[in-house]
Amino acid sequence: MGNQLQTANSTMQKRLALGLSAAILLSGMGMAQQRGGTLTVGLSYDIDTLNVYSTGFLGDVQATVAEGLVAPNEKAEYVPVLATRVPTIQNGGIKVAADNKSMVVTYQLRPGVKWSDGKPFTSADVKFTWETVKDPKFIAESKDGTEDISSISTPNDLTVVVNYKRVAPDFKSTLFTFGILPKHTLEGKDLNTDNYNQMPLGTGPFKVTQYVKGQFVVLDRNPFYWRKDKAGVQLPYLDKMIFKIIPDSNTLVTQLKSGEIQMATSVPYSQIPQLSAQAGLNVIKNPVLSWQHLDFNLKGPAALRDINVRKAVAYGLDRATISKALGGYPIPIDTVVVPVFSYSSKAVPKYAYDPAKAKQLLEAAGYKAGGDGIRAKNGQRLSFNIMAQAGRSTDEDAQQVMIAQMKAIGIELKPDNKAGVALRDARYKGGYDLYYGGWITSADPSYGVFYSTKGVNNGQGYSNPKIDALLATADSSLDPAVRNKALRDFQTLLMQDLPSIPVTSNPSMIVVTDKLGGFVSNPTNMTNFVNTSGWYMKK
Amino acid sequence: MSLSYIFKRLLGMIPLLLGVSLILFGVLHLAPGGPLDVYADNPSVTQEALEQMKRAFGLDQPLPVQYFRWVTAFFQGEWGFSIRTAQPVMEEVLSRVPATLMLSGSAFFLALVVALPLGILSATRRYTGVDYFITLMSFLGISMPVFWLALMLQLLFAVQWRLLPSAGMQTIGDGSLLDILRHLALPVFILAFASVAGWSRYMRSSMVEILNQDYIRTARAKGVSARRVTYSHAFRNALIPVVTVVALDSAAILSGAVITETIFAWPGLGRLFIDSMNGRDYPVLMALLMVGSFALVVSNLVADLAYSLIDPRIRYD
Repeated sequence: MGNQLQTANSTMQKRLALGLSAAILLSGMGMAQQRGGTLTVGLSYDIDTLNVYSTGFLGDVQATVAEGLVAPNEKAEYVPVLATRVPTIQNGGIKVAADNKSMVVTYQLRPGVKWSDGKPFTSADVKFTWETVKDPKFIAESKDGTEDISSISTPNDLTVVVNYKRVAPDFKSTLFTFGILPKHTLEGKDLNTDNYNQMPLGTGPFKVTQYVKGQFVVLDRNPFYWRKDKAGVQLPYLDKMIFKIIPDSNTLVTQLKSGEIQMATSVPYSQIPQLSAQAGLNVIKNPVLSWQHLDFNLKGPAALRDINVRKAVAYGLDRATISKALGGYPIPIDTVVVPVFSYSSKAVPKYAYDPAKAKQLLEAAGYKAGGDGIRAKNGQRLSFNIMAQAGRSTDEDAQQVMIAQMKAIGIELKPDNKAGVALRDARYKGGYDLYYGGWITSADPSYGVFYSTKGVNNGQGYSNPKIDALLATADSSLDPAVRNKALRDFQTLLMQDLPSIPVTSNPSMIVVTDKLGGFVSNPTNMTNFVNTSGWYMKK
Repeated sequence: MSLSYIFKRLLGMIPLLLGVSLILFGVLHLAPGGPLDVYADNPSVTQEALEQMKRAFGLDQPLPVQYFRWVTAFFQGEWGFSIRTAQPVMEEVLSRVPATLMLSGSAFFLALVVALPLGILSATRRYTGVDYFITLMSFLGISMPVFWLALMLQLLFAVQWRLLPSAGMQTIGDGSLLDILRHLALPVFILAFASVAGWSRYMRSSMVEILNQDYIRTARAKGVSARRVTYSHAFRNALIPVVTVVALDSAAILSGAVITETIFAWPGLGRLFIDSMNGRDYPVLMALLMVGSFALVVSNLVADLAYSLIDPRIRYD
């Protein structure tokens, strides 16, 4: 899962504290929790399929229907959902083989859970999910984690024993977290074309009752939902949720103002000021697990392989101004690991805004200013293309600021923006000089995919054997101490090599009616709708 | 005009559409990237799985083979499956046709009904206040950006006055005729406004030209009433150039109004096109482009036939 997402991210601790206190405030009025009401949400993209494993989007609607064994909460920590606990080494849920080359994860399932058609949920469903998603005939957007598993046994209805081929610390962020598929309705069916893609069946708080393509999805309360509140009232509180597909962001805002929708989860920054002035609406900053970065194509122009040029670019970037140009919402960052993670390092080499130093570095490296103010060395001008995602206005605005800032130190950047598949094509094949964009990760990210020599997302040709070794350690260790040390060392090394400059962390802005109680935002790729059961409408 | 002529024209469409399909197929595949690139940033989709998908979609075959397979299947009504949604392409396209027909069709007829009288009025009252006013409105209509006008109308009617819904095709759980008409009002007005502006200008200039002809002066000299001169003698002759423009525009009824559909969250063909384009969903794109081309070819034929209806001197054999 994960490409077409909104990017963004942040100085999480601070933001989280903010978000949390808002959530506490909302849930503080506990007595007002009553069953009933409908929440209408505006969705800014057109749904391709409602199957969590096939969609190219994050799956906002799907999150209200399908549940996993565990799920990340508002602090990006995993909490049990259909399992009774999150397996760890300490609680005996994870057993690593003596040779440290494989592991066994045991899940205890929650008793009494039913699918929304009333049939019981069992360990057979979990095993079936793995088999189905792994099946090469099933064309999935996300098969994350299926290949790591060698076999699954189900000693009884409520126990699942998963045998992993390797030690996989990221096992929670993949397969069984996305959602469990119902064996009793899908067995023997072709999941590529099955009606499940339009009318998914899950154990979640809501079930799809109507899906009109290109228009809306109506979800009704799942009468068999397992969660109850402290007073023993069966959840969810809401009777209905409706997702309306509204691809135009101006229209989304108009609908929020007119009350035709009551919630939207990634509203453009430029629209926030007018919405925060609107009575009846709350604006919530959600520190998503993503970061904006400026990448150098190391297979591209020779000058970009010169560390002095890369450092000069880093010193020449004024992150505060970039943030200001975007309404002040983005938070400047110094490392690629977002601050919410405990292993985000503060000890990395930092490149604070210092244009004089940038010029001095370039000067010393032999890049002299020409008549037009652009520096050159041996006839090679410091003039590059900079690619961003066409149509993503926050990125394009930031790009303009960077172009101006680079011009000030004698580097010319020319925008070469691309969209959709053309953008990806360029990104993976290195069809750019500089690339400005964002990555979003799960709550258990693997940085190897971005920065190791063979990383799938490493289109820039970056290679450092030391980084490869550190990331291999991080991606194969369950010991937090070992993993954190490897990741901290990796960040230091990465910021010395500087193949990519971390710029800002862009929070996503949620606008929601002040009548909605119990709402907690979620920074992970499991979306804000990962647990809607406790949401309620105030009278 | 004979039936055999129409038959001949219809037959002639087949090689034309084949040629069009070849060009469209070539252009689409020349655009950088392919449908499987959506998996490119996904570390978990292995090379093996990609190869498998390539085979499943027939993308591993050389382009001429892919084209030949597609074209033979397409003309037999086998439109294949969408790569994005895995649903049959025919179903994807047909599910969007009613919405687009409703929106663009209503806008088309509304525009026609308004534009022709306006053009005539403008021509017969040339250089009067009425003419200047209509001209001014036309230029406004032609030059006003659709997205801006749409936004303003949404703010007024949906936010300020709360008279009409700002977007969508129906209220969830309603969907009655009145409800759909309320949702239609703003987008239809906006689509029609631009067409009215253009078409009324054509109608006006064509009328002005005809009204200056000698035979009109003769008719007036004979004492024929002004109304009869305008509607029987001039109007019919002035229609020929207008029919050309209107008929060509009518093809757009089936290709969908991309911007208007996006702004008003209208579930039509235009939006399907954009989504499919961004995902390089070749089967859906080809189907949509072929439907659009077909509409254009047919509207050309209709225009030709209309000429001979309007002017009996134009004959086809």
